[in-house]
Amino acid sequence: MDVTLNTETQMIKASEILSWTNDTRFPANELRFHLYWNAFQNNLSTYLTEDARRGRSVSGLREEDWGYCRVESVKIVKNPYFADYDLMPFMEFQSPDDENLFDQTVFSITLPQEVEPGQTILLQIEFESKVPRPISRTGVYKDYYFIAQWFPKIGVFEDGRWNCHQYHSSSEYYADYGTFDVKITLPSSFIVGGTGEHQEIIDNRDGTTTHHFHQHSVHDFAWTASPRFLEYKENFEFAPGKITEITLLLQPQHKKLKDRYMNAVKNAIKYCSLFYGDYPYTTATCVDPAYNSGSGGMEYPTFFTGGAYFLTRKGMSSPEGITIHEFGHGYFYGLVGSNEFENAWMDEGFTSFLDSEVYYKAYGNPLYSRSYFGIPFTFKNVEIPIESSGISGHRQTYNMDVMQRFAWEFLEGGSYGANSYSKAELMLRTLKRFMGKDLFSRMIKDYSQRFWFKHPRPQDFYAVVSEHAGQDMSWFLDQFVYGSEKLDYAIGTISSQRVRQPEGWFDGEYINRQIKDSRFQSEVIVRRLGEVKLPVDVLVVFEDGEEIRETWDGQYRWKKFTYQKPSRISKAVVDPEFKFVLDINRTNNSMMRKPDKLAPLKWVSRWMAWLQHALEFFTILGG
Amino acid sequence: MKIFWNFGRGFMATGRVSKMVLFLFVVNLLFSLLLAIPMYNSLKDSFGRSEAGSRMAKGFDYVWWEEFRDEAKGLETTFSPSVIGKGAILTNLENLIQMRFYSLPPILLVFGLFYIILHTFLAGGILSIFNQDAPRFTMKEFIQGAGSHFLRFFGLMLFSWLFIIAIGVFLQEGFISIISEISSNSLSEVIPFYLRLGFSVLTFILLLFIQMVFDYARIKVVLEESRNIIKSTLEALAFIFKYPFSTFGLFTLIFLFQVAVTVIYILLKEIIPQFNFPWVLAAFLIQQLFIFAVIWIRCLLYSSQMQLYRYMK
Repeated sequence: MDVTLNTETQMIKASEILSWTNDTRFPANELRFHLYWNAFQNNLSTYLTEDARRGRSVSGLREEDWGYCRVESVKIVKNPYFADYDLMPFMEFQSPDDENLFDQTVFSITLPQEVEPGQTILLQIEFESKVPRPISRTGVYKDYYFIAQWFPKIGVFEDGRWNCHQYHSSSEYYADYGTFDVKITLPSSFIVGGTGEHQEIIDNRDGTTTHHFHQHSVHDFAWTASPRFLEYKENFEFAPGKITEITLLLQPQHKKLKDRYMNAVKNAIKYCSLFYGDYPYTTATCVDPAYNSGSGGMEYPTFFTGGAYFLTRKGMSSPEGITIHEFGHGYFYGLVGSNEFENAWMDEGFTSFLDSEVYYKAYGNPLYSRSYFGIPFTFKNVEIPIESSGISGHRQTYNMDVMQRFAWEFLEGGSYGANSYSKAELMLRTLKRFMGKDLFSRMIKDYSQRFWFKHPRPQDFYAVVSEHAGQDMSWFLDQFVYGSEKLDYAIGTISSQRVRQPEGWFDGEYINRQIKDSRFQSEVIVRRLGEVKLPVDVLVVFEDGEEIRETWDGQYRWKKFTYQKPSRISKAVVDPEFKFVLDINRTNNSMMRKPDKLAPLKWVSRWMAWLQHALEFFTILGG
Repeated sequence: MKIFWNFGRGFMATGRVSKMVLFLFVVNLLFSLLLAIPMYNSLKDSFGRSEAGSRMAKGFDYVWWEEFRDEAKGLETTFSPSVIGKGAILTNLENLIQMRFYSLPPILLVFGLFYIILHTFLAGGILSIFNQDAPRFTMKEFIQGAGSHFLRFFGLMLFSWLFIIAIGVFLQEGFISIISEISSNSLSEVIPFYLRLGFSVLTFILLLFIQMVFDYARIKVVLEESRNIIKSTLEALAFIFKYPFSTFGLFTLIFLFQVAVTVIYILLKEIIPQFNFPWVLAAFLIQQLFIFAVIWIRCLLYSSQMQLYRYMK
C-alpha cells in the first residue's frame, strides 16, 4: 500500500494491491469491503444515527470536519486464475444490518467469475480518504493524526457468505489475517508510528519522508503521526531469547511518565506471554494520545493507545491499567481474532479479565483515588481488590441483556459495556476459581494458542473449557453467556440452642430432667436468592474454633445443615473462598452469631465529622 | 501592628466566652446527630451480622462499599471513602467553590439551608455578646441579641446570596465556557488544568470577600443599630477599602490560623488507627475538638473584626 498524507488538505491518497485467497470450502461470487470512514460523511449514517439516539449527536461540524473514504478504482490484476478486469461498474453499497440507504460503510463487488476454494484474486485499489475530526478514536486534531479504520478493508468470507457488517456506534471490528506492507509519505517534521516493523525511513529530499512498515499475521493496520511526539525505544527480552522492540510515542507533558508507561508495556508483554503464550511479534508500539484527540484506549495489532493525566500519582492505576488493557487486546482481538461485531464479550471480556490479572500480578491492589480541583488524591487505607473489578456495572445491568448479542443490539450503551466487559470478565474469574487456578490457566492458555490467527466462536470456547474440565461445561457457561439471571447465594439464618432434654411421658414413664445438656443443636440455612445455580461451598465455624466445610449442589432454593456440637456456631459463610465473583450481593454471604457493633459506630462518626464540618463551612453562604 | 493588636483582643474576647462557643458547638452536634442517626441505622442494617461489618471495623472493605453505594439512596449516597480525613475537608471545599449543591441529596440540602438560617439567627447573639465591653455569655442576652437582629441579618443573608448567585451563575458559566473553549483547542491538559484551578482560587477568594463584607455589615447593624441593609453593606464595603491593609490582613491571618488547625487535624486523623472502641472514641473526640476549634475561629473572626471596626472608628 502506498499512502500519501497531505497535511494541508488532511487528505489521504493511496494505492494498494490486495491479494485475497479463498481459504474456505465455498466459492465466492462477490467481494465485500468495509469503508468505515463513510460513517462520518453525513449525519444519517448508521453510526451517527445510533450515536444520536444515545444523545451523542455531532453538531457544529464544518465542511472539513467530516470524513470519508472514496474508492476511485478497483481492478483485477492478471494472475493464473483471473484476467485484468475493471470492477468499478460492479461496485454497490450494501446495508446488510438495517437497510439504511444513507449508510455507505459496506460495499460489494460482483465478480465476473467465482473465486473457487484455494484460488487467489489480486486487486488494484485506488482510494482517497478525508481525515475526519476526531471521532471513534480516529481523525486529526491540530497536528496530531491517528489513522485507524481508514482503508477499504475486506470482510471475512466464512460458511459461504460474507461477514461484513455496517459500522455501528457500539461495535468494533472483524477482519481476516494477512500481511501488510505499507509506505506512508508525509512531511518530514512528523514522527510516525504504526502497526508492525518500522523497516525504513526514506528522506525524499522534497520536505517529505516515506515510512515503510511491514507486518505479517495481522488483521489491521493503523498509524499515527505528530511532530510533537517524544519517541523512546527499548528492546525487551521477555523470555529467554525472545526480544520485542517497544516503541513509546509520548506527549511532551507526560515526559515524566515515560518509565511508568514503559514498565506497563513490559509487564503486559511479560505476563501475557506467561499466561496466554509468548508474544509472537517483534514490535509493540504504545501511543500516548494527545489531549482532545479522542484516540485514547484503543487497540490495533502490535500498536495501541494508552492514556494518562499529567498529575497521576503513585498507587493509581493510570497509565498502567489502560496500557495493559490495550496491549492485552493484542491477544484477544489481535491474535485470537474473535468477531467483535457479533461476540463482543469474547474480546472485551477476555481482555478485561486479562488486564486485571496482569495488573494485580504486577502492581498489587491499586488505591482508591479521587480528584479535587483536577488534582488526584489517593486514599492509602482504601485498596481496591480484584474482586471488585466489573461487579458494579454488572449489578446494575444484569437483567437488561444477555452477553451473547450483536454489539448494536443491546438495550443501551451501559448494558453493552457491562455485558461485554464486566460480566464476561466476572464469568471468567468465577470459572477460574471454580475450576481451580492451575486447570484454568492451562485451559485459557490452550484456548488462546489454539485460536491464534483464527476466528473462534462461543462454541469453540465452550469446547476448550469442557475438554479441560473433563465434562460438558455448557450448564455453567450457558447461565452467563445466554442468561440474564442473577447469582446470589446467602446465609439465611444461623442458630444454636442447647440440645433439648426429654421431658414428659415416655413409654409410661414420666421424665423431667433438670440438668441441661452441654451440647448445642445448631442450624445453618443457606439460600439461593438468584436463578443461577452452581454447586457452592459452605463454611461453618464454631465458637471453640472447629470448622466444618460442606458442599451444596445449589439446586433447590435453600439447604439446611444441622449439627450437635459442644459449642455454638460462631459464623457461617457461603462461598468462603469467594469463587463466585459474579455474586451480586456479597454481604449476605456470611452471618455471624453477633453483629460487630464497632463498624457502624466508627463509620458514622467519621461521616459525621464530614457533615459537621460541611454545616459549619457552608455558613460562609450567609451565616 | 493593628492587625495583631485586634487579633489579640479578639482572641481574648473569644476566650472569655468559651461557654458561647460550647453552646454553638452543641447546636452543631445536635443538628448533625439528627442526620447521623438515620445514617447509623443504614450502616448497621447494611453490615447486619456479616463479616463485612468486622472488616469495616478493622479497615475499609471496598467490596462492601461498592455494594452499599450501588443501592444507596438519599443520605446514604454521601457515604464514600472520600469522607475520610482530608477527603472530608476537600469534598466540602470543592462543593462550595464549584457550587455543586445539586449533587447533594435533597434532605441534606434542606438541613443545610435550615442550618444556615439558624446560624444567621445565632450570629446576632454572637455579635451582641461581643458588643459588650467585657464579653460574658448568658443565654438570655444571647437569645435577645439573636432575636433583635435576626430580620436584618436574614435580609443581609438574602442580599449576600445575590452576589453568590452572580458568582455561581454568571461568573462560573462565563468562565467555564472560556475554559472549555481554550480547553477544546489545546493539545495538552496542562493549560486547562491551571485555568480551572486558578478560577477555583478566584471563586474562593470572592466568596471569602463576600463573607468579609457581610461580616462588617452585620457588625455595623449591631454596633450602629443600622436598619438599612443595603446602606450597611455599602458602608461595610467602603470601610474595607478605606482600611484595606488592616481588614484584609486580619481576615488573612485568621484564615491562615484556620488552615493551620485544619492541617493539624488532618495529620492527626491520618495517624489514628481506628480498630477498637477506645481508638474510635479517641478519633471521635479529636473530630469534635476540631469542630469546636472551627466554631471558635469563626467567633474569633467576628470578635476581631468587631474590635478592628471599633478601633478604626
